Amino acid sequence: MAVETKTEKDKDSASLYRPVFCRIVRISDLTPTEKLFRIEMPEGRDLNQKPGQFVQVSILGLGEAPISVSSSPTRRGYFELGVRNAGALTNALHQLKVGDEVGIRGPFGTFFDVEKFKGKDMLLISGGCGLAPMRSLIQYCEDRRGEFGKTFVIYGAKAPADVLYKDELEIWQGSDIFETHVTVDNIPQGTCYDGHVGLITTLIPPLEIEPEKSIAVVVGPPVMYRFVIMELKKKGIREEQIVVSLERYMKCGVGKCGHCTIEHLYCCLDGPVFWFNEISNLRGAI
Amino acid sequence: MKSLTITEIEQFLKSVEPEFDLRVPIRLHDGTRSLGGLNEGPLSLMGGKIPLKPTSVFFPQTERVFTRESDGEIKMEKPGEKPILVVGYTAEDADCLEFIDKFFSENFRDDLYFQKRDGSVIMVVSGKCGPDGGFLKIAGGKCDLELICDGERFIAQAYTEKGRQLEKKMKASKEVGDIDSLKKMSDELPDDDLKTIQKASELILAEKVPDAFWVEIGDRCIACTSCNYACPTCTCFEVYDRVHDGTTVRERMWDSCQLDGFMREASGHNPMGTEDIRTRRRIHHKLAADVTRWGHLTCYLCGRCDDACPTNIGIKSVSRMIVERYSQANEK
Ligand SMILES: Cc1cc2nc3c(=O)[nH]c(=O)nc-3n(C[C@H](O)[C@H](O)[C@H](O)COP(=O)(O)OP(=O)(O)OC[C@H]3O[C@@H](n4cnc5c(N)ncnc54)[C@H](O)[C@@H]3O)c2cc1C
Ligand code: SF4
Ligand code: SF4
Ligand code: FES
Repeated sequence: MAVETKTEKDKDSASLYRPVFCRIVRISDLTPTEKLFRIEMPEGRDLNQKPGQFVQVSILGLGEAPISVSSSPTRRGYFELGVRNAGALTNALHQLKVGDEVGIRGPFGTFFDVEKFKGKDMLLISGGCGLAPMRSLIQYCEDRRGEFGKTFVIYGAKAPADVLYKDELEIWQGSDIFETHVTVDNIPQGTCYDGHVGLITTLIPPLEIEPEKSIAVVVGPPVMYRFVIMELKKKGIREEQIVVSLERYMKCGVGKCGHCTIEHLYCCLDGPVFWFNEISNLRGAI
Repeated sequence: MKSLTITEIEQFLKSVEPEFDLRVPIRLHDGTRSLGGLNEGPLSLMGGKIPLKPTSVFFPQTERVFTRESDGEIKMEKPGEKPILVVGYTAEDADCLEFIDKFFSENFRDDLYFQKRDGSVIMVVSGKCGPDGGFLKIAGGKCDLELICDGERFIAQAYTEKGRQLEKKMKASKEVGDIDSLKKMSDELPDDDLKTIQKASELILAEKVPDAFWVEIGDRCIACTSCNYACPTCTCFEVYDRVHDGTTVRERMWDSCQLDGFMREASGHNPMGTEDIRTRRRIHHKLAADVTRWGHLTCYLCGRCDDACPTNIGIKSVSRMIVERYSQANEK
């Protein structure tokens, strides 16, 4: 995927490793373990991210973690991060209040190359936390309607309580821009839910698509890829029409620390967004 | 052509000490050699490569990224006051440095590295001054100045403007030296090891090395990390914060791909979760992955991992095993 080299820009900026402190302006609960943070850059600057890129979030004293930008660059003046409370840093982030600051480096990594998607039918398939980066692309399609063909939003979560961005999923379900399908793997006893139940792979066969003019974007946990891609291939979609976003725990985000390598590729630099045919033969990729 | 005695080199180094942060080969109390200042031990130009990772001069084991005092300001690390002058790299070390210069500048320029590296001066030491009287390959470039030993004296060869300026400051009691015969000796050094790792690289890239091989080699690794920490082209690091009396310090520190905790996915899954995958990674990275990425091997045969590995599975040994076992199968 496309990557912009930052060499020229870096010469002016103080350091590659210096976080910029940004203010949290809104916090909302997505699920019992996930929160959405709306953040503003200093002096009203834009982050200038592309859909699918990530930032390194710093909490001083605890370090940094990579988090995907969950909002589209078409929504100016702020950016959003959907964060699961998974460990030391994300737990501290969850304790922050509106008005507090977090350190941000980035945006980094490759992105969903929307220029190449123009005019195509889009299958936006995400599972679990994968909706966080996918949302940046869904919002982009929403704001740039007309640039893309028929657009499907396909999302699967473990259980109803784990469904992210419930309000927006409802809006997308009611919108004429998208054909939206949501499923959960199972319903714990005593849960009130009347939607589709079953693995995300069950949502794919019934879709009415024109494979030759489609692009499938798949973001989710590693186990999901193999099975979803198998279903997509059955529908006539080829590897070079599939885009995936991979992750490895990242320490630097800029191709230096070595923690995110997949054979000769760096997930932070050459990814996280890859065309599937670039990585399908690489050992350990998915 | 200036031909200097060790004493004359020492005098020269003393004369430039006010201008430079010197990192020269010295002998430590325990008899081992390291890079340090002239006041840290006697100059030790004979004996070949310094055991320590030579690129640690610019990419140290731990270094500060920034400090935040209780007043809230982030202060990035400042470059040292004087440029660094290194003496005692081998020709192979200079190759390694050339590669990591490229690595740290490509895509994103690593300012922590370049604030030490920019303005620095590299002097390679070569010729008849290797361990046990051995001959050290002549670099012939890739450094600012080379000191080529003819057995008694060191002939100074400058390759860059910085090198020429320093050469002018050298006071030599002799102005002649037979550089040509030394170069001939250098050219005639055996290149068996290079051929071996090149062949091993081809075999790995051609998928001729079975997984069972990596299981066998991996079983011998005790994850002591010596190979990574000695290797001049290993660049992986960990980043962590320390808090003390209201001051936060972010540091980076060498990391090792031979450790179980090196890689994780967000789910907690470890894509390099077994010894065989990690051992394959160590060799595959330099001999295959980097060939695909950079177009060349990134092992320059400095010899440190083979010297350091307690279980004899440095890159040369492993490459020899690969070639012995799998090249015939390849030719069939
Ligand atoms: C490109 C990218 C994008 C991402 N986007 C998002 C996002 O949008 N939202 C989101 O919530 N997350 C995202 N993540 C995941 C997030 O970065 C991780 O969950 C990160 O670990 C959180 O940091 P932490 O300090 O809170 O957790 P950690 O303290 O790192 O803990 C995370 C989990 O890993 C385990 N763990 C940590 N270190 C070790 C170790 N050395 N050995 C064994 N287990 C260990 C912990 O026990 C815990 O279960 C993304 C990751 C990547 C690479
Ligand atoms: S010989 Fe070993 S230590 Fe030296 S460059 Fe090659 S891999 Fe690194
Ligand atoms: S030096 Fe040898 S034993 Fe130690 S980590 Fe490296 S390969 Fe394993
Ligand atoms: S996160 Fe450091 S190299 Fe990718």
